[in-house]
Amino acid sequence: MEFGTTGMLNEDGIHVDMERLKKGEVNLGTSIMAINFKDGVILGADSRTTTGAYIANRVTDKLTQVHDTIWCCRSGSAADTQAVADIVQYQLGMYGIMNGRQPTTQTAAAMFQELCYENKDRLSAGLIIAGWDERHGGQVYSIPLGGSLHKQPYAIGGSGSTYIYGYCDANWKEGMDEEEAVNFVKGALQEAIKWDGSSGGVIRMVVLTKKGANRHLYLPDTNYAVRHE
Amino acid sequence: MPGFDFSNHTRNAALHARGVPLPKATSTGTTIVGCIFEGGVVIAADTRATSGPIVADKNCEKLHYIAPQIWCAGAGTAADTEFTTSLISSQLELHSLSTGRKPRVVTCMTMLKQHLFRYQGHIGAYLVVAGVDPTGVGLFTVHAHGSTDKLPYVTMGSGSLAAMSVFETQWKAKMTEEEAVTLASNAIQAGIFNDLGSGSNVDVAIITKDKTTLKRGFVKPNQRSKKQKSYVFKRGTTAVLNEKIITREDISKYVTVHELEGEAAAGEKMDIDA
Amino acid sequence: MTSIGTGYDLTNSVFSPDGRNFQVEYAVKAVENGGTSIGIRCKDGVVLAVEKVITSKLLKPGANKRIATIDRHMGVVSSGLVPDGRHFVSRARDEAASWRQVYKTPITTKDLASRMGGYLQAYTLYSSVRPFGITAIVAGWDSEVELPVDGEVGSGPSIGSGGKVEGKKFGGPALYMIEPSGLYWGYYGAATGKGRQSAKAELEKLDLASGNLSLQDGVKEAAKIIYIAHADNKDKEFELEMTWISNLDGPTKGRHEEVPKDILEEAERLAKKELEGDEDEEETKEEDKPADGDKMEE
Repeated sequence: MEFGTTGMLNEDGIHVDMERLKKGEVNLGTSIMAINFKDGVILGADSRTTTGAYIANRVTDKLTQVHDTIWCCRSGSAADTQAVADIVQYQLGMYGIMNGRQPTTQTAAAMFQELCYENKDRLSAGLIIAGWDERHGGQVYSIPLGGSLHKQPYAIGGSGSTYIYGYCDANWKEGMDEEEAVNFVKGALQEAIKWDGSSGGVIRMVVLTKKGANRHLYLPDTNYAVRHE
Repeated sequence: MPGFDFSNHTRNAALHARGVPLPKATSTGTTIVGCIFEGGVVIAADTRATSGPIVADKNCEKLHYIAPQIWCAGAGTAADTEFTTSLISSQLELHSLSTGRKPRVVTCMTMLKQHLFRYQGHIGAYLVVAGVDPTGVGLFTVHAHGSTDKLPYVTMGSGSLAAMSVFETQWKAKMTEEEAVTLASNAIQAGIFNDLGSGSNVDVAIITKDKTTLKRGFVKPNQRSKKQKSYVFKRGTTAVLNEKIITREDISKYVTVHELEGEAAAGEKMDIDA
Repeated sequence: MTSIGTGYDLTNSVFSPDGRNFQVEYAVKAVENGGTSIGIRCKDGVVLAVEKVITSKLLKPGANKRIATIDRHMGVVSSGLVPDGRHFVSRARDEAASWRQVYKTPITTKDLASRMGGYLQAYTLYSSVRPFGITAIVAGWDSEVELPVDGEVGSGPSIGSGGKVEGKKFGGPALYMIEPSGLYWGYYGAATGKGRQSAKAELEKLDLASGNLSLQDGVKEAAKIIYIAHADNKDKEFELEMTWISNLDGPTKGRHEEVPKDILEEAERLAKKELEGDEDEEETKEEDKPADGDKMEE
């Protein structure tokens, strides 16, 4: 275990250490995103998990269900994000039972934020929460490293997202239909995978509408053109 | 007072800062694999344990019992894989007893990941969890920091790259038990021959709905053959330069010597080569 | 009182052989002696009113409030032992605050009623405590619009979130009454305390279920009902205290507030006027009522 000087404050007094993955820790060097569209939300992610230079899993599922129509995209440490998602999944399940009504995306976002903010010095987790409910429709929340909570029309995250800020800004439209929206997510993730060495593998998507959750899978063999599964 | 004693911590930290190396734990620089097939799952491991550059054990066991139908292959710190698996094995058996149900692979995987996450990677256990339960076949990897993966074929340890190359070129969906066992064994042998941290034999555990078969030494590709020449020296090879005989009386100048009598004497008699 | 002397009424949490908990029934007696409290659920808000019997000429008028705010959007009034009511309020505020802390959003009236119902029920289970000597009426306005998560920044799409189910209504006015046993129900109109019988008779006349009564009229009705309920207790002076919660377009913008002085005085003026008008009618009406009409069991 290497300790180094991480965790110390810089001269500016507000330093947040972005490179604090422990040695040998499994990393989701990632491209993730979630967008709002006409009928709900779509989550998307690549499937690469790395330990240093080695791809520990080339078909990872980074889209994690925490309730019927509330999901999250995970980036950062695999262990941390899995642990956080497991806790929130349990809490949302309990919420549904104890209050006799399903939790909203806001409830989920509040729970994720609490964990990420209160444990900010122990976690490396960048999460995007997306969900659908009758009252609020589709909603997208982003929780970056410090544990702040951002409500957004669409959110991108992970190491690969830096390459697609321009693409998303240029191609984003509000109120897209499902086909347009799927193509937007796919196009953005293809670019992210192309330019980011830590992203790759297949493209996974989840479409969340009043009809429930619908999974998409696109393989690199066919240049992500054909929907599988 | 029960509990941990940290009184040497400051001293050890100071020594370490001045360049004294920390003692090395025995690490199973290892190749372990797992692979599902139609109706079951197979896990396999090499049998070399290392301590730095030294082979500490030529034929150690890296396949750990969790439950009759759930087994674990362990890489990383030998002590941590051993104690973590036995701890979870106990908890899972108690859980099974209190619920009256057979233990599940996901339950085992969840208990392992939550235990390892709590220790933030300080417990150096890297595990392949495999088994068959009432819900079907399960195969997972669990990393020391608490992350898990679910895949049809998995490899871990220092030889995982060599082993994965075998799976990535030869794996196919819906294999028979025999095909899967051969493939897993080949993957371990790729580790044994190409990774310095792995060696000796291949252990295999095959788990199906009906039974678990542990095949210790399934392949032994590193058997020591009979030496072609004898290296025993003839009597008298070493010359005697001088000779001195010491009597009991001489010794009693330094220690007290008593003759034992009766029962006590008989009881103290030492059997050699009995 | 057939229970006296049997011993089954001396301890909390002990059932009598015919399945009653006398300590809880005695607590209800304490409620029946308290000043009348009512709540009316109107189409665009909720109103709470209480008859404060003046126990001393030395008490400052307008001080010593009996209706409390639980959260910005929620108020509570109770009849019975005043200190028990204060403790109820304190616990309800803690529940509302803890909900906000965990879920980053205001508690709904239904959830608060559920939590407080559970809390009161626990005081019927142990020999070391006694039940609450109050019946509480909780009024709230649950936001009809989407609320942000406390602490979030930014907003969703400028055209609003996609995929909402059209035509569904959320939030709105809510009124709950919680009894010493922990039993609670949602009501259109609720009354408790000494004058509950006549108050309930008046509430039933309002046809609240149809959802036509406006908050402004509700305030006038509430004042009238308290005055009518006081008619049986004429020898004692009383003071009327009223609070209300309107929708976001109304006078309180979804908050629980005191009814302003001018509106309250106007409502009182109308109540007195009406009461003088049918003074003699009142007596005959009372006799028609079944004696046990207010008892609700489950």
